[in-house]
Amino acid sequence: MNLDWSQIVPYIPFMLEGIWVTLQFVIVSIVIGFIIGTVLALFKIGSMKPLRIFADFYTSMFRGTPLILQLMIIYLAVPQLTGYDISPFLSAILAFGLNSSAYVSEIIRAGISAVDKGQTEAAMALGVPYRQMMIDIILPQALKNILPALMNEFITLTKESAIVSTIGYLDLMRRGQVVGANLYRPFEPLLFIGLIYWGLVMVLSLMGKWVEGRLSKGD
Amino acid sequence: MINVEHLYKRFGKNEVLKDISIDIKQGEVVSVIGPSGSGKSTFLRCINLLETPTEGKISVAGVDLTDKNTNVTKAREKIGMVFQHFHLFPHLTVLENLTYAPLKVKRLSKAEAEEKALVLLDRVGLSDKKDSYPNSLSGGQKQRVAIARALAMEPDLMLFDEPTSALDPEMVKEVLDVMKDLAESGMTMLVVTHEMGFAREVADRVIFLDQGLLIEEGEPHAFFSQPKSERAKDFLDKIL
Repeated sequence: MNLDWSQIVPYIPFMLEGIWVTLQFVIVSIVIGFIIGTVLALFKIGSMKPLRIFADFYTSMFRGTPLILQLMIIYLAVPQLTGYDISPFLSAILAFGLNSSAYVSEIIRAGISAVDKGQTEAAMALGVPYRQMMIDIILPQALKNILPALMNEFITLTKESAIVSTIGYLDLMRRGQVVGANLYRPFEPLLFIGLIYWGLVMVLSLMGKWVEGRLSKGD
Repeated sequence: MINVEHLYKRFGKNEVLKDISIDIKQGEVVSVIGPSGSGKSTFLRCINLLETPTEGKISVAGVDLTDKNTNVTKAREKIGMVFQHFHLFPHLTVLENLTYAPLKVKRLSKAEAEEKALVLLDRVGLSDKKDSYPNSLSGGQKQRVAIARALAMEPDLMLFDEPTSALDPEMVKEVLDVMKDLAESGMTMLVVTHEMGFAREVADRVIFLDQGLLIEEGEPHAFFSQPKSERAKDFLDKIL
């Protein structure tokens, strides 16, 4: 075993830049996934049957096929079909955002169902309109219940983001591979970016704990 | 104030309410009693359309709630409801529980809503709890907050669905006292209850339901001392 860390030193800034690249599209994907996921969850619990069927179909499609396939389809098929040369970044946020929304919608749906039905009735009895009730009364309570599951989804997304390296997007993962190939020494750079992923996930978990603490002020 | 005509409610094949008709005047306090499963709660929940009647007509304060064109959400603003299990909003403080609907539904200013809420909290004896969260309150305190929350919308009438049934015995009185006080202030009240003391002393009228039928109604003292129907007699014998 001969590890030589000195050789990767010149490449460290190059690899560190990958943190921002990865974070950028992970954050955008999380936001997209969360927004679409919330809407889908509302479709699923709503009274309009076509919307419910659509949301269920959407979820089964995105959960039932590999993420890497969805990414490839968006990245390769969009130019073939439309002639529009889609960038790796746009493909990535679309694939990850749409995929994540399927999982998030299930998490939120379960969270909403777990809120005591009495809360809905109390709000209805006060004359609170449905939309307002969802935003102010039901979703905040649902969110508190599902935060651990939601955090888990965000962590998964952060790690799975490494898949974009396959479409040549220069994220953290890809940079690790590039450096390894340059040096003919894959181990040190891969271990290095591994530590960075681990650090990112730790920060994410800590943030989750903090939010959880803030949301549980009523207990 | 409340006018119910030929109300039927079915859950599938199960007929829970059968041909109920009743008129309740402004300022009247009416107790609904009967064995469990008699349909009393369902009846109460039909009045603000938490349950949709299968057949029949319900009007409250001149508004026909069963008319398809009626904005039920709007009509509910004027009908306060108190639940057996309180259903306070756990993520809001006591004061926020009281001001939420006035702020969001009636669009009062924050200052105005809070001022009114504080008066109500004082009325139910919980001014010192305004910044507490519901989970730190006792059952009796929660129910008093729930009553104040309903009153904050300045309703024309109040529905109580077994308001003391989930309480420890020593907390029943504090809630009944608040309700008594409310009755004396002239509020129209419809109260589903197992508290025969309340029905006897506070109510102007008692209605007795059994198996979805309105069996008997009358002035409380007469009803409790000399029920006319066999079923009411049986029921009273069992519980008194």
